[in-house]
Amino acid sequence: MRKSIINEEFLQQIEALQSLIKNNVAGLFGGTHQSKTYGSSCEFADYRDYIPGDDITKIDWNAYARFDKLYQKLYLDERQMHTKIYIDASRSMEYGRADKADQALRLAATIAYLSLSEMDKVSVYAIRDKEIVSIISGMVGKDSFVGEIGKLNELEFSGDSYISDAIIPTSVGYGDGMSVIISDFLTDNDYENAINHLADKKRDVFCIQVLSPDELNPKIRGKVHLYDSESAEKFYRRNIKKDIMQAYRKALEYVTNRINDVCASRGANYLLVSSEDQMGDIFFGKLIEKEVLK
Amino acid sequence: MTFQYPLGLLGLIGIPILIIVYIIKSKFTEQTVSATYLWTLSEKFLKKKRKDNKLTGIISLILQILAIAIISLTIAHPVFTLPGAAHEYCFVLDSSGSMNIVSDEGKTRFELGKEKIKEMIEGSADGSYYTLISVGSDTTTVFEREDSKDEALVLLGEAEPGYGSQSFGEALNRAQAYFEENPGVCTYLLTDKAYSSTENLELISLSDSRDNYALSDVEYDYTVLGYLTVKGKAVSYESDATISLKLTVDGADVENGTQEISVSKTEPKDFSFTVYTEKYSEAVVEITNSDSLMLDNKNVLYNVKNENAYKTLLVSQTPFFLKSVMEVVGSADITVMEPSEYTKLEEGKDSKITGYGLYIFHSCNPKAVPTDGSVWLINPTASVENSGFNYQGVIKLDKAETLEKTKASASTVRQLLENVGGNSIYISKYSKLDTYRKFNTLFTHDGNPAIFTGMNTYGNREVVFAFDLHNSDMPLLADYVFLIKNLLDFSFPTVVDDAFYSCGQMAQINVVPNCESIRVDSPSGKISHLSTAQASSELSLDEVGVYTVTVLIGDEQREYHIYSALADAEKDPVTEAEEKIGLYGEAKEGGLDGIYDKLIIFFICLAVIMVADWMVYCYDKYQLR
Repeated sequence: MRKSIINEEFLQQIEALQSLIKNNVAGLFGGTHQSKTYGSSCEFADYRDYIPGDDITKIDWNAYARFDKLYQKLYLDERQMHTKIYIDASRSMEYGRADKADQALRLAATIAYLSLSEMDKVSVYAIRDKEIVSIISGMVGKDSFVGEIGKLNELEFSGDSYISDAIIPTSVGYGDGMSVIISDFLTDNDYENAINHLADKKRDVFCIQVLSPDELNPKIRGKVHLYDSESAEKFYRRNIKKDIMQAYRKALEYVTNRINDVCASRGANYLLVSSEDQMGDIFFGKLIEKEVLK
Repeated sequence: MTFQYPLGLLGLIGIPILIIVYIIKSKFTEQTVSATYLWTLSEKFLKKKRKDNKLTGIISLILQILAIAIISLTIAHPVFTLPGAAHEYCFVLDSSGSMNIVSDEGKTRFELGKEKIKEMIEGSADGSYYTLISVGSDTTTVFEREDSKDEALVLLGEAEPGYGSQSFGEALNRAQAYFEENPGVCTYLLTDKAYSSTENLELISLSDSRDNYALSDVEYDYTVLGYLTVKGKAVSYESDATISLKLTVDGADVENGTQEISVSKTEPKDFSFTVYTEKYSEAVVEITNSDSLMLDNKNVLYNVKNENAYKTLLVSQTPFFLKSVMEVVGSADITVMEPSEYTKLEEGKDSKITGYGLYIFHSCNPKAVPTDGSVWLINPTASVENSGFNYQGVIKLDKAETLEKTKASASTVRQLLENVGGNSIYISKYSKLDTYRKFNTLFTHDGNPAIFTGMNTYGNREVVFAFDLHNSDMPLLADYVFLIKNLLDFSFPTVVDDAFYSCGQMAQINVVPNCESIRVDSPSGKISHLSTAQASSELSLDEVGVYTVTVLIGDEQREYHIYSALADAEKDPVTEAEEKIGLYGEAKEGGLDGIYDKLIIFFICLAVIMVADWMVYCYDKYQLR
């Protein structure tokens, strides 16, 4: 039984973080979630010539006095966004010196809270093998956050994960918000199609790669037989020396560049975090640096 | 092959330890990681390895095993015995008197020994070490572990024989030290002495069978009546023989100065010469037969009394008593002078009286004591300048009274009163003298000093009789002769008491008052000086022949002679030899390089560096942390 990551102390940290974000950044993921169509919200968008039959209450009489012509004021049409967070629940996420699973859950909870603060609807899913398991569905409002987010503590990490096979068959929505995928992406399994699919559905895609310090800078040397935590069939047997460490670093660079390139080509955001990184550092440092937060 | 330090082979234990470490370190450790994806992927980025890289580990192991083996063997120091290999040689060369015996080849045994050593040095392999210990009058290491053949041969050529008789004990102790340090050292003993067995050394005999005669136990005596008696023994060591003896005195033949005696082999036979000679300086007794060792065929006997003779000035109107007794008990060359004449000379401006060893003033008073010799003042009737006493008048006794002999027991007093009874010396009149210097009083009367001795202001010895010999019965007593003899010995001590020694003995040279220097000329012409700081000095006699001792006393230079005869032990080396001789321990084959002890520091440093290098290598390769 894993320890409770989403606890009272963590919620207080999120609250403090949200206050800071509110005071320092305009909004999450490009600001407010306005649609490209004009609607009935209170927020002014543009003018157009008055056409008979239009709502006369939206005529700008000041403009008429100045230009002697009737102009209709247009307002943006506001919709409720739906943030969908996908957490890689494979065994590899839970293994290591600093738990990647804990960091993934903390990231998911923080993003969910920030989305709820924007009055968005939030759903959290676990990717287990080739399926999506709903953990929190359609959570709206901060009040429901406290009640719902604790479900993350019950998430178990085991087996393998196939991101594309799991996400594509599901209803991901269309142009109504952001999809966040949190994984270590250390797999040959396909994830590019999932990103393509979400991008095609006009979703804002945000991929967060969580790696442990042991993976970012391994200390293993000498003759070792390494077993894979997800499968006993996978192993690596070598006398690890300087040349192999150099090759490992190149492999790591290749993997992170690959996902970064995929995200960049699809207009998606990508962020690499260590399982030891603090939330504050991630949201005020890395996300602002990558202009995810503005 | 042997090992000089077998414990060094313990270092080979390091080889299996090293292999075990390699085996342990070669095992794969199992470990689980979150994903092997990155590790597997890294294979694609791994540069293609060269084939020889696989051998790196085993080559490193082989090199390290070789390093350990070399270091261990270096410390163990294997000694290989190869034909013509270099060795360490230690030569003990007998340089004693018997080595002067001339062989059939016309060379002395010492020269033959040197030639044999020279042959061995020249025939040895380069890189050998040579030590030469010479045993003559003393034991000397001529050269030690000399690695240069040329230098060793030069030093060997400069070696000279001695005449003394030293045992090989000290030399063998030194050779033993070399042998213990290197059991492979080749030790040779070159001598003319015979030994029944030797151990760990090779005896090279230099003796041969040639006629050898010798004089021994020679004594001499010269009586007051002028008879010189010379006694001794003659011996032939090789065969029965008829030995011709001859005695010469002061270089001249004397009547009855030759004789022939038949002797059996090795059995000494007595001989004796008695000749009359009024006076002599030296007598020579010799064997006139020719033989292989002439050094022991001749003895020179010096007349010690003559050597110690001294000039005496006797100032007296009635010198009979003194002159007669001094001629009997001493070797005085007496000059008699009238007191008036002395006074006249003393008062003269330019004619000072000097050059005498002893001045005797009998019933006359010099103005001052002479500056250059001992002084006797007999019956002074006035104060004498620098004498150490003041005259206080005459004491006449009603009847003759005896003198009181001192009860002092100081060694000087005991010597002065040796054989003197002193219980019945009568005097009837004497001078009362008040001493203001320190004197040894021998006799007193009524508490007044009657006969006393000491030193005057000039540091010369002084004897004072407070009475006239004519006012005493002393000249008629036996005590008079003994006392005068003792006082003469005190006034003029002999420089050389004995003039006949054996080579190797120490001759005693007395340091007389005012002695400025003592120079000694050895038979071979070596000049040395003896210390004059002590009452006597010792002269080491390490040559055979006549030593000339020249003593400077004030302005006077006196010459003495001492004869150093060949030691008895050297006259027949064969019969004097010990039965067994050798070195303790177990000899081993092989030689030494000699510089090993310095190199071992280098190898230890090398080992430390290698271990450090290996640790650094393991730290890097196997992450030993």
